[in-house]
Amino acid sequence: MPTVLIVDDDRGLRELYKSELSLEGYEVMAAATGKEAVEILKDSRPDVIVMDIRMPEMDGIEALGKVVARHKNIPVIINTAYPSYQEDFRAWAADEYVVKSSDLTELKAAIKRVLERSRPKAQPDPKAQES
Amino acid sequence: MKVLTLILAGGRGERLYPLTRDRAKPAVPFGGIYRIIDFTLTNCLHSGMKQILILTQYRSFSLEKHIQLGWNILCTKLGEFVHVVSAQQRVDELWYQGTADAVYQNLYILQQIRPDLVLILSGDHLYKMDYRPMIAFHLEHGADLTVAALPQPKELSTQLGVLEIDENCRVLSFQEKPQQPKCMPDDPDSILASMGIYVFDTRKMVRRLVEDAKSDSQHDFGRDVIPRMVASGDRVYSYVFWDPQTRTPKYWRDVGTIDSFFDAHMDLLGQNPVFDISDPSWPILTYEAPAPPARILPIGDGVRGKISDSIISNGCTVQASLLVRSVLSPNVVIEEGAEVEECILMEGVRIGKGAKLKRVIMDKRASVLANRVLRCDEVSDKGFLTLSKGGVVVVPADSVVE
Repeated sequence: MPTVLIVDDDRGLRELYKSELSLEGYEVMAAATGKEAVEILKDSRPDVIVMDIRMPEMDGIEALGKVVARHKNIPVIINTAYPSYQEDFRAWAADEYVVKSSDLTELKAAIKRVLERSRPKAQPDPKAQES
Repeated sequence: MKVLTLILAGGRGERLYPLTRDRAKPAVPFGGIYRIIDFTLTNCLHSGMKQILILTQYRSFSLEKHIQLGWNILCTKLGEFVHVVSAQQRVDELWYQGTADAVYQNLYILQQIRPDLVLILSGDHLYKMDYRPMIAFHLEHGADLTVAALPQPKELSTQLGVLEIDENCRVLSFQEKPQQPKCMPDDPDSILASMGIYVFDTRKMVRRLVEDAKSDSQHDFGRDVIPRMVASGDRVYSYVFWDPQTRTPKYWRDVGTIDSFFDAHMDLLGQNPVFDISDPSWPILTYEAPAPPARILPIGDGVRGKISDSIISNGCTVQASLLVRSVLSPNVVIEEGAEVEECILMEGVRIGKGAKLKRVIMDKRASVLANRVLRCDEVSDKGFLTLSKGGVVVVPADSVVE
């Protein structure tokens, strides 16, 4: 079961994401700041990170830089209320960019896409080729 | 069209030791009154490139001081600048891992300036180049990246990036320091070598740097980013730095070793120097502390010395000595009866009476006592001296040859 790390300073949103994504079958972890996320990543290895940008202590841009430097293979989805960050070069290190919405359809689709991309390509089954 | 220039000045310059003992390679004195980086900065100014960042991380004090003293000449009110940017561990707790990483770690500055194009230069090359025709070439070809290149002897391939291009100058392959290089189609003894000068479309560069940061690589433009761009079908072109009529490569030197540093100095000498620093159409800018004009003195009874084919800076005193094919920085003193041949004497060097030197580089404030002989075949015990493969003796700064 894939694990998603939600990083957002809004407690209500963290709860919402947790319940919605759990229903989709994901394990969900949560952090309230970039700094907390970086700490969590010292011991845990989620399959995908959903990262807010505007947060206290350490914002999502800085946390994204640290994730790229330390955990190259963990995909990051930027999830912010501000579309303008899409033009911030530093945010281009993210795998996906989703503008926050009460409807989580787009976020869920983005999670699926990055998991699909990061999953190792299935080897063709030699038996299937024979038949 | 907004162009930001990034000068990479973070290399360790180990092969230039001991000249890089206390300074980064671009800050090594060159040609009497200059530092190596002055040539690249001069190119920028003559090309109208006036938004310049110099990225440093290694022994940068001397370089920063020089830039502050000598290059505080741009008009900040018009948006012009030369800033020295030290490594700041902005992304994580690591220094620059390679040339590409140095730029990646400074994306926050690119984000603030938002240039259309980024011109990437090396701070330790000697050449005179107007970058504007290269930028025009880049735009005409709708390139993602343009790499400046010039023909070089095949034997140098293990020190250079080697390009293979088609008839439209599109790059077909890029090999970094190959043992078996792809040679030029019409000249099997030459390679088309990268000069480490890149014009990038900013957005494309950022995409590629981010990809590189997320991959296992040495995070180097020549080793990783450019070969990957060529392989993935990006529009990578080569701008050849030669006289288009005669196809003669223009002067360009990477002064990476003691021998190439020495040879580049010899290129400044002669009736028609290979590398002319006296060209009035291309004055080389630098910082020079005030010093009195040079003095050439006889000995009291009128015995004169002999000086030929040398560069003598302000503040020097040469007394009745033999001085041939040498370059003297400011405030060098050569006492009577000394013989100095093919030497590079940096600021404040002192040569004692009757001393004999041949093919010697003396770093700042070093001295040789009277009647000593210093040349490679006479140096049996190297001690604190460095002896290059090509037979050049290097005396470190502030040391005394007794």
